Amino acid sequence: MSLHTDQAAGISGRVLNIQHFCTNDGPGIRTTVFLKGCSLRCKWCCNPESIHPKPELAYDLKKCIGEKECGLCIKECPETAIYVVDSDGKVRVNWDLCTNCGKCVPACPSNALYSFGRQMTVDEVLTEVEQDGSFYAQSGGGITLSGGECTLQPEFSAALLAEACRRGISTAIETAGNVSWSYFAQVVQHADTVLHDHKLTDPVLHKQWVGVDNARIRENFRRAYETFPDKKFVARTPLIPGVNDVEDHIQAVLAFIRPYPNVVDYQLLPYHRYGEGKYDFLGRVYALKDFPSLPDETLRRLQAVIDEAFGRTAADRLP
Amino acid sequence: MKRIAINIGGGYVPGLDAIVAGAVLAAHGAGCEIVGIRDGYDGLLVADHYPDGGLLLLDPRVIDAGSSRASVLGTAARNDPFRLRTVTADGAVEEVDRSDELLRKLTQANVEAVISVVGGSAVTGLHALSVAFRLHRKGLRTVCVPKSVENEIAGVPLPFGYNSVLAHVTETLERIGAGARDVGRLAVVEVPGQHAGWLALQSGMAALADAVLIPEIPYDIAKVAAALDAHQRAGRRPALVVVAEGAQARARTGAATAAADPLRASLAPNADPALGQGERIIDRSGAVAHAVAAAIQQSSGREVMPIALGLLARGGPPTAVDRQLGLAYGAAAVRALNAGDSGVLVAFQPPDVRSVPLAEALQRVRAVPAGSEFVRIARALGIALGD
Repeated sequence: MSLHTDQAAGISGRVLNIQHFCTNDGPGIRTTVFLKGCSLRCKWCCNPESIHPKPELAYDLKKCIGEKECGLCIKECPETAIYVVDSDGKVRVNWDLCTNCGKCVPACPSNALYSFGRQMTVDEVLTEVEQDGSFYAQSGGGITLSGGECTLQPEFSAALLAEACRRGISTAIETAGNVSWSYFAQVVQHADTVLHDHKLTDPVLHKQWVGVDNARIRENFRRAYETFPDKKFVARTPLIPGVNDVEDHIQAVLAFIRPYPNVVDYQLLPYHRYGEGKYDFLGRVYALKDFPSLPDETLRRLQAVIDEAFGRTAADRLP
Repeated sequence: MKRIAINIGGGYVPGLDAIVAGAVLAAHGAGCEIVGIRDGYDGLLVADHYPDGGLLLLDPRVIDAGSSRASVLGTAARNDPFRLRTVTADGAVEEVDRSDELLRKLTQANVEAVISVVGGSAVTGLHALSVAFRLHRKGLRTVCVPKSVENEIAGVPLPFGYNSVLAHVTETLERIGAGARDVGRLAVVEVPGQHAGWLALQSGMAALADAVLIPEIPYDIAKVAAALDAHQRAGRRPALVVVAEGAQARARTGAATAAADPLRASLAPNADPALGQGERIIDRSGAVAHAVAAAIQQSSGREVMPIALGLLARGGPPTAVDRQLGLAYGAAAVRALNAGDSGVLVAFQPPDVRSVPLAEALQRVRAVPAGSEFVRIARALGIALGD
């Protein structure tokens, strides 16, 4: 895609959040732009507010000042989706009726009702990203597009990365790869580093935990390794206790990536529950409520398998 | 009307077939056929999961109105017609609105109207009520029958199932209380009631509990402990504290109060791979009983036993009140449809069964008023409410 710069800067996309000073989303200190919309439904998802493509409502009960003092949201809602609980006098959202129209958000004086996601142009995003510019040079950092799934908005993501390159900012993406090849290639071609997830090897388990099998994802990764030999690919696995924290999976991923010298690293992301509270705000249920944390021992053992495959010690790992 | 369908939303209460029987008898009397949709709308939405057919032609002779077994229709709806999780043609997982398809399937099955048995504020019950409301707004003729264990549905003084659950919980509390008193321990029993404390309050009064903690009255654990001590001094050995799931401590007492919000339910990670899109919800109960029991033990040194009734609260046979109420509700729903009503709940407002707009039930959760006669009587009985 080669658009005139001004035209590219005006393309807009659905952005969830821009997070500054990230150290786990690619080389150096990075500014991570989270986009809305995902084509998978991982049961361990720590960013549930990123899943749906459109802006969506969230509600924090603790901030509600009550129907008697306020009640403005009830008058604004065209869907009868806000109701009052007499025992505490506060409102609740009926998530089955809410259409995420957002009319209640500006009406709420205490910000108990708020919205995840907004439409932003390439220029607006980069203006915010460039505030961190001084950190990039020293640390080797830059911009990272994450999600959701950033390749689901291929025009916006490609324009954003291309314009970042033009402004001298290093680029990276985080992707799970479950999109058509044309979308995937359109975005990957503008990224210096491609952080990509190998969640599960077995297609049946992949479907059970993530929602679809992994055939298209693996094919996209293989094709990308071959099509873009000059890019840095970093394979990653979110390590979920009892799901994929086994050596078989790690070995299968290593067998898949090691023939390609442009896959420069394989990283393990230990499971955490930071996203759990957000499920309540969105009126959803968290699938892994009773899951334990990953034991340090498991992480060390599996990490050693990877280090051995890459012929390095723990001290030689990429930062 | 020639043909009506009936279905039941999630949330089990005993004796649901009384409603089905009432509807079938009334429909036959009016020269109308009635079919049951299995498991909410799943019988139509995912018909391939039902080799015997997702629709059951209902015959009054085979329905037992006094049965304490689960309904012949099932209540385990796993699929939302407005947000059915689907893998699209291009391989993405998305939630797709299939309500138009559902309405088309109802038309193809010659169904002219639907009677839905729905709940109140609990996640699964509110879901069925909301689906009925949305389908009504899309043009489906529908009348709902209220069922609830919390008795919190606005405009409905007596939903189906509440009386049976109240009777059963009271009997269970009496047994637990007698056992605890005999061995000198204090049972802290959690009963359903996320937003409304009717069940805890009324069963606690009937079983003469020492304290009843409900969502409407934030409790101070020190006052609960003091009341238990006073009972002890007066020669009434304390044995029973009843706690509603949604009971909350007053902020300043600092007691642990992890209220078991229904949203704090969890999905079983390995549940129903065969059913695909559906998600099995496991209610996490017992959190409040444990928190209150621990706080009482800390502040009074009493030996406590936290017990969560959970599904046990919903067991047992339907009472005579519920059997006749279910029959009446089923028949009233058919009569309401024949009278041209749609988008309403049938509600027993003594001495009549009236129609209440669905929107009214959706906009408010009816809790125990602070000045309620029940609250005054409970206090007069010496039951501590923690305030």
